[in-house]
Amino acid sequence: MTGPIRRVWAAVALAGALLGLTFATTSTLDYAEHLDRGLHDLHCSVIPGMPATSAAEACRAAMYSPYSAVLKTSLWGGVPISLFGQGAFVFFAAFALYLLISGPRAPRSARWFFAATGVTPLLVSLVMLGEICRVCLGIYLSSALLAVAAVLAARPVAEPGGSAPHRRIPAWVASLLWLAALGGSTLAPSLVYAARAPDQRPYLTRCGALKLAGDENGALLHLTTSRSIQPATLFEDPLCPTCRAFHQRLVTEGVMDKLDIRLVMFPLDSECNWMLDEPLHPGACMVARAVLCGAGQARAVLDWAYDEQDHVARAGKAGKDTLRALLRQRWGDELVKCVDARATQTRLNDNLRFAVSNDIPVSTPQMYLGTRRVCDEDTDLGLLFALKELAPEVLK
Amino acid sequence: MTEPMPQFASPSPATPPPPSRGLRAFAGALAAVAGVVLLAGVGLAISHSVGAAEERLLTPTAEAPKIAVAAEAEVAYCTPKFKQVLERVLHSCGLATGAERRGCKPADVKSFASISDDDFNALFAPLEGRGGVVMFDSGKDELDDAAKKLLEERWFERKGARYFFVVARASKTGTVDKNRALSHRRANSVMFFLQQIAKDPEIEEKVGLLWLGNEFAQLSKGYCSWPSSREKDKCTEESINRSAFVSWVDCRL
Repeated sequence: MTGPIRRVWAAVALAGALLGLTFATTSTLDYAEHLDRGLHDLHCSVIPGMPATSAAEACRAAMYSPYSAVLKTSLWGGVPISLFGQGAFVFFAAFALYLLISGPRAPRSARWFFAATGVTPLLVSLVMLGEICRVCLGIYLSSALLAVAAVLAARPVAEPGGSAPHRRIPAWVASLLWLAALGGSTLAPSLVYAARAPDQRPYLTRCGALKLAGDENGALLHLTTSRSIQPATLFEDPLCPTCRAFHQRLVTEGVMDKLDIRLVMFPLDSECNWMLDEPLHPGACMVARAVLCGAGQARAVLDWAYDEQDHVARAGKAGKDTLRALLRQRWGDELVKCVDARATQTRLNDNLRFAVSNDIPVSTPQMYLGTRRVCDEDTDLGLLFALKELAPEVLK
Repeated sequence: MTEPMPQFASPSPATPPPPSRGLRAFAGALAAVAGVVLLAGVGLAISHSVGAAEERLLTPTAEAPKIAVAAEAEVAYCTPKFKQVLERVLHSCGLATGAERRGCKPADVKSFASISDDDFNALFAPLEGRGGVVMFDSGKDELDDAAKKLLEERWFERKGARYFFVVARASKTGTVDKNRALSHRRANSVMFFLQQIAKDPEIEEKVGLLWLGNEFAQLSKGYCSWPSSREKDKCTEESINRSAFVSWVDCRL
């Protein structure tokens, strides 16, 4: 490899770092926008500069995932990982610029340092981010570009004009200084973010409460485990994607088993729910009845409905017979008989009437800790922070 | 660590040595400045974005989107006129309160409804698909199996309704008092059966009982086409009034 080619790789690394910085900045700004507790569109494209869109479920799922941020119990929404990406990409862009300009005169230690550290964004992307979204994909690709270019730029080279002369600073000292600069640069954006983030605590308790605690007809499901310590009421629709994500967050964070849950089935399907003019999730009424019929297996039926939600929702759209056949195939005849029984229909109606008696908003999911409603924004981005403030024992 | 010696070429004495240290220093300084500028830009962008979010949080300008609140059903036939009559009848005589006698006799209904017979029946016309006519034998108040089946079906089709109406009538045969008492017993038969199947301690707050004898708002033969417990039997103006009309009412009051 010759000096000019090395410069080319440095230029490629610079491009990769700048591209990564662009994607990480886009992701951070999307995240920061949600600090106003509103719901906003997200940028979800591998093409930088594309407008935000409401059809960005994969990116939203990634944003709400446990891997999107750290220190979520200390700061509302946590410190987004993308902030560290921004800082790191800034450092790598600057370092690549240095290698680009100094070309063959760059000390070998600098090239090796760049190769060794330039692969870290890629490693972090692969290890830390479990969810794939297009912006994440942009960061992956940028990181890969940077890593490849950094490694190639470090390969031995025969220099026609002579190699770099002896340095005044020993290589190990220089490496330590660069490492410190990398660390400082990586942390700086997150420190700015954490220092500026608004205090969300006053807003956690402003979303209302259940009026009536009672369930006179015993229609609601109770899901408890030996570790349940915090009474909670959940309103869920088994075919609602947001409910699935919420349910999975509770499970992943280890909170689900700590809740003494009263589950209110609230399907957004006009077949049984008169509060809707048309079915938002066709088939949700039948699946909700299946959950009610689950008895001792109710949690398993609910988990199945969430795990297989895409498949179940397709069956729901295809019609009652298709959905009934799917339920029969998975859970057997007895459950299907129960699903169609009048008593179960009445029980589901009582679930919906419980919602009416409590004047709850027509939306799912909803969580009440005791009787206090957890705000919608605190069930997604701010979940762990809200739990730490409102029910800290479930996080222990 | 030292740099390796050049392996394939020595600088010619005529060629001045490359300004490596100067170039590296320049590159290092430029890169450092670029890094600091970029980092400052990133910091400013973050600070601005977070600050703007805080501003929106503290002083929201956009009105929060209104989310519907769970409520009982309210369908198209719940016109102000319908609800006015419903409210008068329900609150004046339809529902029991405490130990008070429940129900409403014909004169009361006529008085409270403040409406003509035809207008009263016309108000209930939209309930054709929701309700049903429970038919009785002449002079009798017992529910047959078909009547029980119809009642059970209608009762458990509650959905979002708040009130269940029972409007009992009697045929023209016999005296006014006798028919008044007969329609009252028919209304009670329906109520007792509902109490049996519903097992609802609050049923008294849901069911409005009216009995009209053969005095007020009698049904015309046109009502023979409504769902009834005796759809296969011959239906006449006489037989359709030996009945109790039942229906959930999807209106909020």
